[in-house]
Amino acid sequence: MIRTNQLTKVFRTELIETTALRQVNFEVKKGEFVAIMGPSGCGKSTLLNILGLLDDANSGLYFFDGTEVSAFNENQRTQLRKGNIGFVFQSFNLIDELSVYENVELPLVALRIQGNARRKTVDEMLDRMHIGHRKDHFPRQLSGGQQQRVAIARAVITNPKLILADEPTGNLDSTNGEQVMQLLEQLNTEGTTIVMVTHSLHHADRAHRVVNLFDGHIVTERVEKIFSPLN
Amino acid sequence: MIRQSLLFFVRNLLKDKLFSVINLTNLVTGFATFILISQFIDMELNWDIHNTHYDRIYRVQLFQDQQENIVQHSSSITAAFSRHDLVNLPEIEKIALVHDVGDNNKDGVFLSADKKNQFLIRYGYYADQSVLEIFSFHFLEGGPDKALTVPNSIVLSKDIADRLFRGEKALGRQLYAENKALLTVTGVYSDLPENSEWRPRYLIPMKSFTALTGWKDYEDNYWAYSFHTYVLLKENADPAGVDAKIHDALKDYRKEHYPYLRPLSKLHVNPYFENSMLNGYTLLSFIATLILVLSAINYINLQVANATTRMREIGIKKSVGFSKRQLWSQFVFESLFITVLAALAGMILSHLAIPAFNKLIEKDVITSVFTQPRLLVIIGSITLVTGFLSGLYPAVVIASFNPVVALKQKATSEEKNGITLKKVLVTTQFSISLFLLIVSFIVYRQTWYMAKGDLGFNSGNLLYANIITSKSGSFDPIRQRLLEHPEIQDASFSDYIPFILPGGNELIWEDALPGEKVFVRINLVSYDFVSAFNLKIITGRNFSREYPSDVEKCLVNETAVRIFRWKDPVGKHIQVNDKQVEVIGVIKDYIPFSVHNPIEPFMYRLIKDSASLNGVYAIRYLPGKEKEASAIVKEEFVQAFPDDVFEFKHIGFLIQNENALKVWIVFKKMCVFFAVISILISSVGLFGLILFFARRKMKEIGIRKVLGFSMRSLYFTMSSGFIKLLLLSVIFAWPLAYGIYKYLPGAHKYPIQIWEFLLGSAIVLMLALATISFQIVKAAKTKPVDVLKDE
Repeated sequence: MIRTNQLTKVFRTELIETTALRQVNFEVKKGEFVAIMGPSGCGKSTLLNILGLLDDANSGLYFFDGTEVSAFNENQRTQLRKGNIGFVFQSFNLIDELSVYENVELPLVALRIQGNARRKTVDEMLDRMHIGHRKDHFPRQLSGGQQQRVAIARAVITNPKLILADEPTGNLDSTNGEQVMQLLEQLNTEGTTIVMVTHSLHHADRAHRVVNLFDGHIVTERVEKIFSPLN
Repeated sequence: MIRQSLLFFVRNLLKDKLFSVINLTNLVTGFATFILISQFIDMELNWDIHNTHYDRIYRVQLFQDQQENIVQHSSSITAAFSRHDLVNLPEIEKIALVHDVGDNNKDGVFLSADKKNQFLIRYGYYADQSVLEIFSFHFLEGGPDKALTVPNSIVLSKDIADRLFRGEKALGRQLYAENKALLTVTGVYSDLPENSEWRPRYLIPMKSFTALTGWKDYEDNYWAYSFHTYVLLKENADPAGVDAKIHDALKDYRKEHYPYLRPLSKLHVNPYFENSMLNGYTLLSFIATLILVLSAINYINLQVANATTRMREIGIKKSVGFSKRQLWSQFVFESLFITVLAALAGMILSHLAIPAFNKLIEKDVITSVFTQPRLLVIIGSITLVTGFLSGLYPAVVIASFNPVVALKQKATSEEKNGITLKKVLVTTQFSISLFLLIVSFIVYRQTWYMAKGDLGFNSGNLLYANIITSKSGSFDPIRQRLLEHPEIQDASFSDYIPFILPGGNELIWEDALPGEKVFVRINLVSYDFVSAFNLKIITGRNFSREYPSDVEKCLVNETAVRIFRWKDPVGKHIQVNDKQVEVIGVIKDYIPFSVHNPIEPFMYRLIKDSASLNGVYAIRYLPGKEKEASAIVKEEFVQAFPDDVFEFKHIGFLIQNENALKVWIVFKKMCVFFAVISILISSVGLFGLILFFARRKMKEIGIRKVLGFSMRSLYFTMSSGFIKLLLLSVIFAWPLAYGIYKYLPGAHKYPIQIWEFLLGSAIVLMLALATISFQIVKAAKTKPVDVLKDE
């Protein structure tokens, strides 16, 4: 599904140069659930941002579904992201001024899906996430767990091939965190590829494979479950 | 997409109400002002449009190809040219000859229904009946076909009819002109709209001209240039063709005189191709545009400043797949939406402001913008352009935020990209405010200079009256009696006085080159004219009763000496009607008519001491004794002229009523109004901008306070940036304002002074500092802990 080759990312300011990723070779197969772990500042989020095409690497190659995309321009990235990649953030990143319904609807608006089809898809997704009764509420009226469910609903509404989750349970208590993990697992079972950054060993155990990053390198890879590609 | 954007936008507006109010106030005020000025200019440029044949009406004017320093265009021609030459042109459908009743340059003529209640009325005309077919008159009593056909009749405007007959029916009734002529009313027409260039208050048939004026052969006179001629061209007639045909028509009489047609549509703003008020309207349009630009810049500044608070939205939208173009159009759409909203509110506001604005410009002519489709289209297009342009920059800045950075809500990219252009915008904003403020000072001072400045004669304590009489007595005994009163200082009798423009003639002077002639205005004055008006003789002497031969001599003004290139003017001669008239003295230049016009060469000769010349009496009284002096003057003159009607007025009335000055007074009011508006807009804009910076700097202020920084250093840190930009704006605003001073129409300008620039800058600086202080004090007084835990 995705594969990187010698991916390197350097942050430069006038005075210092910080290497966030050093020649990372990383692969995720279609339908796989991969957890990325590591201490603060080891490059987890940077890797996730590059995989999500929100950021680009300084060197190295990145194959998405077999296509080399690291040289894509802004428009091509947007086109690829649209409908293919869903994001789940630690801080949910819901838009405060939009209701639950409108937040979830957002990716469909970007895809220019109109009218009834859009309404039906959003309603179905909200029901699936058990949040339908809250659809006219605004983010600040929801609990953290509910907000993250909305964020996940938004991430998967377009049926993306890949979900990138950056510490999705980081801001949640254990009960709500567990619910979110179950949701992710369920999506994975249904075929969605998931890459998740986490600090929690317990949550990382739910993945097929755990990748440990340290100082921009992949130091260990541990297989949690045998993953057999569906096809 | 649109619904989404709109929803989001409205909620965003409501979320930060103060910010939104500031933003909208700016735009709405900007639009309202812009609309009002546009209406004013539109009205000025579409003067006379109510005439059905508006685009086919022309006035025949005259261009006189002669020396500089004299008026080269004349709005009137000779009656003979009109009667004998123009009537034969096939292109002309209708032609009308028009002449002032009395001298409209002077005060007008007294009309009365009963010889008791007298009304001094200006702007009455003798006119051919065809004038009623050329211009659109709406008759309330009688009709245009019979109105100007009967000798010794008069047609009145509604206003005059109501005044003379106290609202009763006027048709068929009789009235007196100057207590002499008895005229029968043959019609009453609706008052012509205020935006009419030719606005007669009453009309008398041209047929009666000879009977009433005693002027017999005027229709054959090719030398009396006091007749106006209006023509209605046939449809499809080519005015340029007519111009070509009449161009040389006068060469048998004066080869340098060229008649031409001037369209009615041009008569108000640009009657003579030059020396017009068109520059004034250009300046006003410029100001209107600047005010709109000012509010648009404010909007852009505030939008960009506010954009950082919307970074998360951008980040999220980008991460869920919104393309740059989609975001870009969202922001442009928002901007269009708010601009259209502001324009609508501006229209309503301007609509509400119409009564006040009409009062300001002293003309009741501006009507609601909603009734003017043409203007609505113009304003609509400008709104869309403004909305699009002001959305463009914020859209580009905002839409190009890096999503990762945007999600972390760090405004780094905005700082880097936006800072220079933002500085440019703030500087522009300061420059515009400063410029408008200084220009309003300049216009204010120039108007003051025109109205009250040193005109070169003492216009303080003078009464004057023009008396039209058939008596022929001498003025001297009256003068002697007047001077017996200590309240009366001096008294003179003359054909004309300053601010009533005399006619003149083309004269040859001693030392003139062969064929050289100059148009010289001629005033006939009594011995005491110079002293009564406090004029100065710079060389030679005044007329004196001790030298009887002074009747054959003359005075000239400085300009004449300069144009005649005389080194030693006393003793030189000017040729008048084949006689050589010797110059005995030179009067220091004063402004004889309008600050607007250059001073022309003048020649003064002694007037025959006879009241029958229908001249002007000027009485100088002891300062502060106007009431007493008026009573004395009235008593003496009523005794001397028991059968005539007249009214003594202060000369200030004449000066204030001079047309160019009247336009300037309106300009002055508008400029002051605009300066206030622009300062308001910039202050509100600056308030918003600083409000935003202060909010963003809350944490910095908190940390600084924890570290023990004083209020003063906080103040300095936060205001120094703005002050630098303000100082920078001086570089742009000062020269531009000075340029406007140079560009102002008018021959005589007040001496500009540096303090006007310094004061303008100081006011803008004070306002900026006051706004900054308000915000900084508020921010600095917040407890540091409240700000710091906000993170």
